[in-house]
Amino acid sequence: MTRLVCPFCGPRHLREFEFHKTLPAPGAGEFASVYERVDSLELSVEHWQHVGGCRGWLLVRRNPSTGAVLDCRLVGGGGAA
Amino acid sequence: MSGPQPRYSAWSLLRARLSGDGYWRPLWGGRPLRDAYDVVVVGAGGHGLATAFHLARDHGVARVAVLEKRLVGYGNVGRNTTIVRSNYLLPENHYFYEDSLRRWETLSRDLNYNVMYSPRGVVDLALSDDDLSGMARRGNAMRLAGIDCELLDLAALERFCPELEPRRTRRFPIVGALVQRRGGTVRHDAVAWGYARAASALGVDIIEDCEVTGLRTAGGVATGVETTRGYVRAERVVFATAGHTGMVGTMLGIPLPIETHLLQAMVSEPIKPLLHTVLVYVFPGHGETYICQSDRGGLVMGGHLDGFPSYTREGRWDRLEEVVEGAIELFPQIGGVRILRQWAGTNDMTMDGSPIIDRLGYDNVFVNAGWCYGGFKAIPASGAACAALVATGTAPDLIRAFRLSRFASGHLLDERGGGPFPVRL
Amino acid sequence: MTPRRGTRVGPDAVRFSFDGRTLHGQVGDTAASALLAAGVRRVGRSVKYRRLRGVMTAGPEEPNALFTVGTAPAVIPNVPAPQLELREGMVLRSQNRWPSLEFDVASLLQAGGGFFGAGFYYKTFIWPSWRTYESLIRSLAGLGEAPGACNIGPVAVEHLGCDVLVAGGGAAGLAAARAATRAGARVVLCERDPVCGGELEFEGGTVDGRAGGAWAETVVAELRAAGARVLTGTTLVGGSGGEMIAHAEPGGLAGANAVYKISPRAFVIAMGAVERPIAFVDNDLPGVMLLGAAERYLARYGARAGRDVVLFASHDRVYASAARLAAGGMRVRAIVDARQPDEIGAADLRDALGRDGTECLAGHAVLAASGGRAVSGARIAPLAAPRQARTVPCDAILVSGGWTPALHAGVQEGGARLYDPRSGGFVAGEQPEWRLLAGAANGQFELGPALADGVAAGMRAARIAGRQPLTDPPPDGRGDAAPRGRAFWRSPASSAEEKRQFVDPQNDVTVADLRASLAEGFVDIEHVKRYTALGFGTDQGRIGGLLGAAVLAEIRGRPLEDVGTSRLRPPFHPVSMRSLAGWRVGAALRPARRTPLHDWHVEHGAVLESMGLWMRPRFYRANGDDAFAAGIAEARRVRDSGGIADGSTLGKIEVAGPDAAAFLDRLYLSKASSIRVGRSKYMVNLREDGMVLDDGIVLRLAPDRYIATTSSGHGPHMLSHFEHYRDTDWSGRAVTVTDVTEAWAAIVVAGPRSRDALRGVLGAEWEASLARLRHMDFATGRFGGRELTVLRASFSGELAFELHCRPAIARPLWEALVAAGLPPYGLEALDILRVEKGYLTTAEINGQTTPFDLGMEGLVGLGNDCIGRGLLERPAFREASRPGLVGLRAADGKARFLAGAQLTDRAAGSRPLGYVTSSVYSPACREWIGLALVPRSHAAAGALLLARDPLREGDVEVRVTPAVHFDPGAERMKS
Repeated sequence: MTRLVCPFCGPRHLREFEFHKTLPAPGAGEFASVYERVDSLELSVEHWQHVGGCRGWLLVRRNPSTGAVLDCRLVGGGGAA
Repeated sequence: MSGPQPRYSAWSLLRARLSGDGYWRPLWGGRPLRDAYDVVVVGAGGHGLATAFHLARDHGVARVAVLEKRLVGYGNVGRNTTIVRSNYLLPENHYFYEDSLRRWETLSRDLNYNVMYSPRGVVDLALSDDDLSGMARRGNAMRLAGIDCELLDLAALERFCPELEPRRTRRFPIVGALVQRRGGTVRHDAVAWGYARAASALGVDIIEDCEVTGLRTAGGVATGVETTRGYVRAERVVFATAGHTGMVGTMLGIPLPIETHLLQAMVSEPIKPLLHTVLVYVFPGHGETYICQSDRGGLVMGGHLDGFPSYTREGRWDRLEEVVEGAIELFPQIGGVRILRQWAGTNDMTMDGSPIIDRLGYDNVFVNAGWCYGGFKAIPASGAACAALVATGTAPDLIRAFRLSRFASGHLLDERGGGPFPVRL
Repeated sequence: MTPRRGTRVGPDAVRFSFDGRTLHGQVGDTAASALLAAGVRRVGRSVKYRRLRGVMTAGPEEPNALFTVGTAPAVIPNVPAPQLELREGMVLRSQNRWPSLEFDVASLLQAGGGFFGAGFYYKTFIWPSWRTYESLIRSLAGLGEAPGACNIGPVAVEHLGCDVLVAGGGAAGLAAARAATRAGARVVLCERDPVCGGELEFEGGTVDGRAGGAWAETVVAELRAAGARVLTGTTLVGGSGGEMIAHAEPGGLAGANAVYKISPRAFVIAMGAVERPIAFVDNDLPGVMLLGAAERYLARYGARAGRDVVLFASHDRVYASAARLAAGGMRVRAIVDARQPDEIGAADLRDALGRDGTECLAGHAVLAASGGRAVSGARIAPLAAPRQARTVPCDAILVSGGWTPALHAGVQEGGARLYDPRSGGFVAGEQPEWRLLAGAANGQFELGPALADGVAAGMRAARIAGRQPLTDPPPDGRGDAAPRGRAFWRSPASSAEEKRQFVDPQNDVTVADLRASLAEGFVDIEHVKRYTALGFGTDQGRIGGLLGAAVLAEIRGRPLEDVGTSRLRPPFHPVSMRSLAGWRVGAALRPARRTPLHDWHVEHGAVLESMGLWMRPRFYRANGDDAFAAGIAEARRVRDSGGIADGSTLGKIEVAGPDAAAFLDRLYLSKASSIRVGRSKYMVNLREDGMVLDDGIVLRLAPDRYIATTSSGHGPHMLSHFEHYRDTDWSGRAVTVTDVTEAWAAIVVAGPRSRDALRGVLGAEWEASLARLRHMDFATGRFGGRELTVLRASFSGELAFELHCRPAIARPLWEALVAAGLPPYGLEALDILRVEKGYLTTAEINGQTTPFDLGMEGLVGLGNDCIGRGLLERPAFREASRPGLVGLRAADGKARFLAGAQLTDRAAGSRPLGYVTSSVYSPACREWIGLALVPRSHAAAGALLLARDPLREGDVEVRVTPAVHFDPGAERMKS
């Protein structure tokens, strides 16, 4: 189910989170990382914030065609502290 | 396909009644996919069909095909909340959308298909003096461009939309409104069908269940498209696949300033006429509801994007609740009316909120995309202008600002000042 | 008359009115059962052809019997009569008729017949314009009355976490809930009806040797005793993201008294099945009803669908039903079975029925219902020889084309849909791992297997939720035999008659419409749906969706499997808007953020204004009748002597740690690292694309500790912005970001008297600090035993201080300042003072302006490599057509011009160059002044422009001035 599992707070409903942006391809320059988007039906790599919880920033990998969350971890790396 | 399309009118209905079965003809289709075209348009949504129609009608392009992955009008042209208006701030936008609105006014006659243009007014509600100043800025720009619009104080708003009871106590009191009376609604499906019928009558081949899977090029020039029905040669190719344009970029290896987001719409069960205009209500705390009543009687509503990239076309329940909250705040009396259906479309969201009509990677490949919230209302102008670009090679003034290079040059068209963040509220 | 007996009705009478007639039902009746019992057969008209209609179903899928309930203005439209529990004095009105149900003017249009077929409106009403016809057409469309008011009371919203959610309290759902509960799972069970049991209530079967209804009661008792939540009268309506939503709308009337938001670990869909109609000529006449509905009315309410009935079906279960109807006192004249004799079982039942005078016909069909305004007979013929038809007199035709599993919940969010040859329709296929199907919803239509299916699903669900179920033998269910049906969709008819074979009665979609749709090229089911409105009714396609698809398949000569049905959309059942809004209505629509001084403002006549969610004083009534007059008075007093304003809404972010300075250097256009401890600086943030994002004052409290202030409106966003860069680019570095907005109240003290008044209020311990503070210095200390920071900074151009204090001392401090002769001023005055000084707010920092536009070239020139800096170098941002910030005054020194006016040069017909961002009447300048953004080419001081405001003021000639209108040397601020 398309709940996000926050490494700090556990599974939470999407309404607690805010999507920020999709991430550029590795090595993208400033213009590309601000404006260009890598579009894929299978994988979207994104930054989200748990605004209604711990306020941590999360690196989320999702399948945008099914809504399935493939992975959710802290942006700075690692799982729960 | 056999026989020409009968011209639609009350008389034709009577004739059909008297002549029994077999009088009406399919609106489009019936011709096989050929192996070469002057122009291949990818996507039989509003923009693709309108582009094909204008290529054939205005520019005499003989061999035009519209290739559609699924069905005519299955995408956003049939999923939106049917609102048409030209009340934009930036001149590049309001001249363009005004051109579109003028075409909406006569489209039923131009296509000989009733698209039910209903100029019932589009009202932006103001909740503060700052809102009003912002609306005045936009409205004044429109008026100086010769576009109708009025700023309403509470008394005038009450006269225009008494059902709203603008003076009623609300969490965020209404202080006035900007109204464009020529704005209103159009029956969405009819637009796709009307363009498809008219284009087909002009000789355009509309091929459904034909997905374009690749672009073939030679010497820096596109030579045709790969499809699920085989290779099709093309002198020129137009991608009009808003909602999936990001995928086109991926297919061509050209990253685009577009993210794909879901936008929901919902409709109530039909009731007798209650709301006679279109209201747009934006309030603090991420609140947004736009609402009108369809001719069938259902209250049609929408709000914000779902808030993250998605192709699922399955909306968020909490967004449905939020839109309804706004509707109830405007009209407490509809609390007992039930929501019947909710659906979602996929929106091309660009990084400045304005569209892109331009060449894409090759001199003979074009893209008509990035419509954000404005795709439906843009269809007539977009089709005409995009056809002119494709046929003549030169972008008409009306869409010159919609070029792709604007992001790199800084000639942004950021109507709302939101920057490169489609979902920022 | 003796009272009717049924499982749901009591003997006491209930009075109600229907279309002005007073009628009586019994306690427990629904509107539908009471009307049936009272012999009222015509209950409404169809929306397009205005055909008379009767009750067709016993559930929410009712397409015909929809009533407007209540008295104007607080009516509720389109209430399905089978769901509506009667209450004493209830007022019901039928719909789609004028002036009355029995005589409707618009029904005369039916003579137009084929003229008004599917999609006719696309072909006409083009001249002179659609608008000419629209209001008439709108008034004819639209089902129930538009309400003028709504009396629905508060709605309680309850969030439930559980292991297993079971939707549906019929046999399979109860079995699943019990199995899961016995496995130790925390279970929530939702049942749409007021009591659990589903078909057990009337089917006459037994479970573990007990009557079905009694078994259901036992299970519910066991569930409740074990701590499960059993929510009856509660319908599962939707959900997303793993949270399912159930609404309790008591009595069938809109307006929940409760909304449940349920987050389960596993979810069992046991929502049953819907009976299918069969298309035959005039199958919409009052008196044509679904067979299962007739059984429900008889068993639950003792209400008979007819005295003499004909049954029309294509499965074995019809014979058991016939026996029950006969036992209930109805004369079953004939059972018309569309199957061939060798397909039909239930020989014993058929023999018994035959002995009692029921004609059992195999390979036959009902071709048509006869009767003018209600059924008076059934026209029956062998399928092999449709011309050999005869009419069997009857007053009801009870139809059952088989059952379709309830699909809605199982096809959302990753659920597949499969063709099921057994039932001849579709079932939900593969599900996400947390969602299971059971019972009839899973295609199990027989009691025993349905119970076993339920137990299996309950145990699997418990396992998904991490429980270890014990093997629990399924209950022994004995009910009707398997239906062994064969899908039968429509009876033979001539092409003219197809116009009266209804597949979707509410929208008057007929077989002829489907044919017309195909002829015009609308072939795909999604096209047919959109063109004919098939499945668009309040039954959400439950009645006509599959039947329409099946008829379409037949006409096209394709298998139904290939034709498919249109995508089912949420909600699973129609749900009232009031319930959806939950508690977020009226004042609770959004929370209000109040400053620690809020109560003081209210007590002292402040007129408050929403600024985002914050409430802020706009002006104080003591100073004038309206915002304009009071604002001027308050601003004048600040310049003349002094005043105080509540600045608590400013965002405040504390940034600390060894890397704090470097971190802020990255976030701001100029360097925070160059601020000395005890000093502060006006700073600007850029957005990633180079536009100005926000501005504020940054205070350096210690070498490794800063407070950054943000504008009030941008506070929450700026916090996220800071946190984002802390966690991404700066992850692993030694810096913390803390929101301290609500930890500090802020009082702005401004005006020539401000320092003197502060001395008096703060006392001797602050004397030295106050004397020492230069512009942009701050000092920390205590007041009333709590922390206080005094920052010398000015947003008014006056000598001014910001007092950042703990909320607990905000009010005493504020009151002391008032007592010291500094009266409060509000946002109006604040705006006047800042425009006089050319300071910026969101009117100028609007997301569309660069630092160059706003006159911050100097800051850019410092060369700090901050966020947004790179993209600021794009060529367009340096063009002369970019706007620049200027001041404006009327050319005649008198005229008013307003924010939002567009600026052109003075030649007629010129296009706008820029616009007025802010304007105020300045008491200091004694005229209207403004700020504007105009291209540099037109920004020279003294240039004349036209402020054009066709919406409000007309045209005013204006003169460009420096943006600072007052005290350009800033003498007052530095005094």
